[in-house]
Amino acid sequence: MTAFLIRRLLIAIPTILFLIVLSFVLMEVAPGSPFDSERGVPQYVLDNLEAKYGLDRPPWERLGLYVWNIVTDFDFGPTFTYRDRTVNDIIAQGFPVTLTYGFWSGIAAMAVGIPLGIVAALKQNSWIDTLAVGFSVGAQVLPNFVMAPILVLVFTLWLGWLPGGGWGGGQWNYLVLPVIALSTSYMASIARLTRSSMLEVLNAPFIRTARAKGLPMRRVVWRHALKPAMLPVISYLGPTFAFLITGSVLIDVFFSTGGIGQFFVAAALGRDYAIIMGVTILYGVIVVALNLLVDLLYAWIDPKIRYA
Amino acid sequence: MLTRRATRAFISPPSDPTPEVAVKGRSLWADAGARFARNRAAVAGAVVLALLCVFAFLGGLISPWDNETIDWGMLGQVSTVGGPSLETGHWFGVDETGRDLYARTVQGTRISLAVGIIGALVAVGIGTVWGAVAGYVGSRVDNVMMRLVDVMIAVPYMFVLILLMVVFERSVIMLFVGVGLISWLDMARIVRGQTLTLKNREFVEAAIATGVRTPTIIARHIVPNLLGIVVVYATLLVPSMILFESFVSFLGLGVQEPQTSLGALIAQGASQMRNDVPWMLGFPLAIFVILLFALFFVGDGLRDALDPKDR
Repeated sequence: MTAFLIRRLLIAIPTILFLIVLSFVLMEVAPGSPFDSERGVPQYVLDNLEAKYGLDRPPWERLGLYVWNIVTDFDFGPTFTYRDRTVNDIIAQGFPVTLTYGFWSGIAAMAVGIPLGIVAALKQNSWIDTLAVGFSVGAQVLPNFVMAPILVLVFTLWLGWLPGGGWGGGQWNYLVLPVIALSTSYMASIARLTRSSMLEVLNAPFIRTARAKGLPMRRVVWRHALKPAMLPVISYLGPTFAFLITGSVLIDVFFSTGGIGQFFVAAALGRDYAIIMGVTILYGVIVVALNLLVDLLYAWIDPKIRYA
Repeated sequence: MLTRRATRAFISPPSDPTPEVAVKGRSLWADAGARFARNRAAVAGAVVLALLCVFAFLGGLISPWDNETIDWGMLGQVSTVGGPSLETGHWFGVDETGRDLYARTVQGTRISLAVGIIGALVAVGIGTVWGAVAGYVGSRVDNVMMRLVDVMIAVPYMFVLILLMVVFERSVIMLFVGVGLISWLDMARIVRGQTLTLKNREFVEAAIATGVRTPTIIARHIVPNLLGIVVVYATLLVPSMILFESFVSFLGLGVQEPQTSLGALIAQGASQMRNDVPWMLGFPLAIFVILLFALFFVGDGLRDALDPKDR
């Protein structure tokens, strides 16, 4: 287990370094400087500005310094557009918002998707199975940017039940639409995956044995079928988290939650490289960490894998 | 000749219950075609897809308006007279700046389809070569190449794509390439796995024995035999490419005006929702959903047709 963990960490670290260097190089080859939009400023002021932000030093030195600051102080440096704030301030302001509904979206996707898939498999070809299959096929074409406008149209503009944007300090009614919009398609994928893997497990010989011994169905499902049936679902959780994080950018923008995605897109349009890089790296680290967690969960639940 | 026979032996199920009779042999592709034709959802999807292609590539010819011209008579009163109508020639209505939504939807569908297809081609091209080389050459090369894939696959690529779009001006070409570059990693893994099972087969051994050089073996003997699985994954890639592109365009980071794509049109319609102009959201959204449905059905049908073991 320890060896496995170390090996996974050995892959995780170059991944993050790769991401940092990649984004740094891309930013480096980008034309223009962040101060291009300043008009009528004398050259010496620009020089001083560049010196202040360290832009006059050679690229490899800045890369080294950038990585060093992140590793030692978790410091992503100053931004160029918000003069009074650092990238860390931006992250501290936006991240809790994104994390809140991102967390609930992940919970919702699993809490609805998994039971729905299990029930659909247990009652194959019943109305609930048809419903689950229909839902999971339909939701394939309902990604977050399709769900979000439809939800706002129905629940805000027609019914007037829920606010169609803003954050309201994290009250539940502001959370509902972002969570539904973000989680629907993953809920459907999880339900579909759970159903097919549960069906496969239920047809396995060891389940027939358990039934033949006279165990009630409830106990067979809970004690014998559930764990092996969850394996494909768990391995899908890694990508799901990555997609949730990416999707949150769109939710932030569409619902104006004040989350980190809003800053990211504004920075991308305004070429504030410091924020783009900071957010990209932060999200990269989160994705890598979650993938690691999923791998560990997988090792813990699967008796066949022990990663000796 | 050798490769073709080997393909058949490889893909057809080993224990065929029907006895060997001297009838005209059916090729793998003819078999697959017959299976596909029996799948009603897939055929319906293919028909819808063909209609959408006609719409995207020829639909502009019959429209009285193009996607850039502003209908000045509509400005300022879009929500009252800008709706879909046959008299004004704006069959899907106009957008908030008075441009014909039909022409824009046609153009947006074209971009989305092109991104889907070209993006998938880029992904398939790189992924096939990478996976085939890694799998065939093996040992240390394989190790290095696949560890690189492991490292890159963990990167959240939507951010890299956005970064690319920011750095290299938002051109359509960049979008094609960027979307394709995101998705070749899975392809590489699949192809490598398949190559590993191929490379010890007799026809490869025969090629080695007759002194064929490694690059030629990969190009002439390995890659052609991967075609079935590559086609299946390529068709499943197309809708996800379109989703990627629409996502980025929805954020306003994709194609630039006056060009548009379905994602950008949906975003535009969504931003105008409060102004009582439902057609701006409705038409692009409907086309998008129909397109994705058709692609998924065709992809599923192809998978069942080409990979019958998987059912």
